[in-house]
Amino acid sequence: MESSRPCKSCGKSALVSDDITGNLVCSLCGIVQDFENFQAHFGGISGPTGTFVRVGTSGTGNVYNYKQTKIYGAQKIIDDLMYKLGFSAYRSNEVKIMAETITEGEYGQGDWFPIFIGACAYVVMRKDNKSLPIVDVAALIGCDIHELGRMVARVVNFLELKLPEFDIVNSFERSIRTCPSFSAVSDDKLERMLKQGIFIVHCLVKWFLTTGRRPLPVVAAVLVFVAQLNQVEVRIEDVAKELHVAVSTSRLRYKELLESLVKVAQVLPWGKDITVKNIVMNAPFVIQYMELKSMSKHGQKRKSSEHVGFDLDDIVSDITSKEIEYGTDSYDIQNDSGYFEVENSPRWNIDDSEKFKISPECLSMIYSKFLNDVSGVNSGGDIREDNRGKRRAYNLRACTEWWKGKSELSKKLLLKQILEKDVGLNAMPPSYVTGCLAYQRRREKIKVAKQRIDKIMHPSNADSGERDALCLLECINVGKKRRRMQVGIDWEDFIIETLLLHQVEEEEIEKGHYNTLLDLHVFNSGSL
Amino acid sequence: MADQVLEGSQPVDLSKHPSGIVPTLQNIVSTVNLDCKLDLKAIALQARNAEYNPKRFAAVIMRIREPKTTALIFASGKMVCTGAKSEQQSKLAARKYARIIQKLGFPAKFKDFKIQNIVGSCDVKFPIRLEGLAYSHGAFSSYEPELFPGLIYRMKQPKIVLLIFVSGKIVLTGAKVRDETYTAFENIYPVLTEFRKNQQWYDF
Repeated sequence: MESSRPCKSCGKSALVSDDITGNLVCSLCGIVQDFENFQAHFGGISGPTGTFVRVGTSGTGNVYNYKQTKIYGAQKIIDDLMYKLGFSAYRSNEVKIMAETITEGEYGQGDWFPIFIGACAYVVMRKDNKSLPIVDVAALIGCDIHELGRMVARVVNFLELKLPEFDIVNSFERSIRTCPSFSAVSDDKLERMLKQGIFIVHCLVKWFLTTGRRPLPVVAAVLVFVAQLNQVEVRIEDVAKELHVAVSTSRLRYKELLESLVKVAQVLPWGKDITVKNIVMNAPFVIQYMELKSMSKHGQKRKSSEHVGFDLDDIVSDITSKEIEYGTDSYDIQNDSGYFEVENSPRWNIDDSEKFKISPECLSMIYSKFLNDVSGVNSGGDIREDNRGKRRAYNLRACTEWWKGKSELSKKLLLKQILEKDVGLNAMPPSYVTGCLAYQRRREKIKVAKQRIDKIMHPSNADSGERDALCLLECINVGKKRRRMQVGIDWEDFIIETLLLHQVEEEEIEKGHYNTLLDLHVFNSGSL
Repeated sequence: MADQVLEGSQPVDLSKHPSGIVPTLQNIVSTVNLDCKLDLKAIALQARNAEYNPKRFAAVIMRIREPKTTALIFASGKMVCTGAKSEQQSKLAARKYARIIQKLGFPAKFKDFKIQNIVGSCDVKFPIRLEGLAYSHGAFSSYEPELFPGLIYRMKQPKIVLLIFVSGKIVLTGAKVRDETYTAFENIYPVLTEFRKNQQWYDF
């Protein structure tokens, strides 16, 4: 390579670079030039290419840049979560498209991303009315349900979607099919449990036991109940754990379910003896009653339901006339199977019936009577279902079991349809009932407080007042929790007295917003 | 005070409250600008009723007993007063806090007092089918029993958020003046009664 510099000896511009040493040598005189191997740096298009250092490249061999790595990682998270949620390829794709749309193809990195994907998965399922409980997703991702819920709300707002209502029946169906506790149950039994469960879930919806409550503990309670009805051994703790819900809440819902059934059972002749302890054993009767009630045409509601009720009363009075013992805790629940397989039950042996003191003949008579009665109703005129005028023919001849599953409540229904059905009980929401009781308690307390004030203001007629007051106080305290039996006057009484003395309206005090009232009427001396 | 008692004892004005129910105001949030920079540490050290933990929250939390309220006092001189049960009480409390700050040696003024939020509650005394309400007023309501037991109803006019519970208890929030709370309740009440009728067809 020739340089433009002149030779220091001959002055000719014939210097060349020695390939081995790199020194400049004059090609004419052979003089080695002074050390100088500076080469001008060429730039521009013709210049040599340097090494580009790109952000996100680590080490050699990684050809992905930051964005590609991020998207790759994100896809992996999505695939992983979709696999764990058991999504089909179609749904996974839907989730991917949703995530891509929302992030404008950027996807994401960091702790929020799995939550975002969980939210997308939840929305995709909910959109199509498929059940995917939010607790399941939250448990899988390992985040709080409210965090996930906020993300769901953002996704829904962004996409301007309108999610359908949460469907507890779908949720129940999914739970019974996916719960490991029920994996060993045979298909036809599962199908029966499913129908019974849906029936009970509908009843719970009707009785306000699902409104304003987390759905899954209710589902857990129903699962346990139908399992007991069908002799499937499950523990409520296990079911609750499998559904990712609190055991105590599930127990509470279970208790509420039993209590409601006990209320329904009161119409049975032996209703008074039915308690939450033996309701499971009596449940076949109660559910049968509810089923018949729900099947009665509600246009002729009064007439027909009474009719059915009467039939049932007849039947059960038949049982009672034989002086049987029923619903006692003494027998094993296993024996309950006798209720299910009445006519051709191989398991129904003499020993069992001795224990029950119900003869098989008696029971089969009950059922044949049932069949006659119902077919009597049938021949008397077609029974129509609902306002929609659908015809329904009762054909119970083939039924030998207490569970028929004929009621529409065993199928999926709209809320309106559920509310139109009569299942023998119209319950109020527990929170509403508690509220009413609280009002009543406060009203009593106000009454007593007024008497106390009156006693002090007019000591002459104190005697009678005192007796009344004491009596009233006792009523209140007995009505309340027994644990906290207190006959004395507590802080609440004093507050009520103070408020009364400050001429606060009784209706206001009844509401129980003591702090507000105290602030407004008592500690208000410096008011402008 | 006499006025207050009278106000409480007066029968409900049915022209203003056709439902016969007056929501009870539970909390008033107001803000005011004291218009001077504050040394929060000095305030926390001098005032008995103040707590200050800069690691947790960058404001002094101060409480007074009458009206029973809590104030957040920021170094910028801005103050938030919460917990009062009426607008007057909120203003009075804010003035009291400003006075306390003045006594601690800061040239505090009382600028731009404003009620920011009014929370009210009431009880319609009948159960409400939240599912049905959510269905028929889907555009305004959000009912997610998995997340929250109440139905969240975002009313457009007046712009108030209502939390409606199955027990019949209602919480109204987001109002700047109390009439907005009252109007919102009067707007929602007929809707709620409609639901009560439907669902109580066969009640005993």
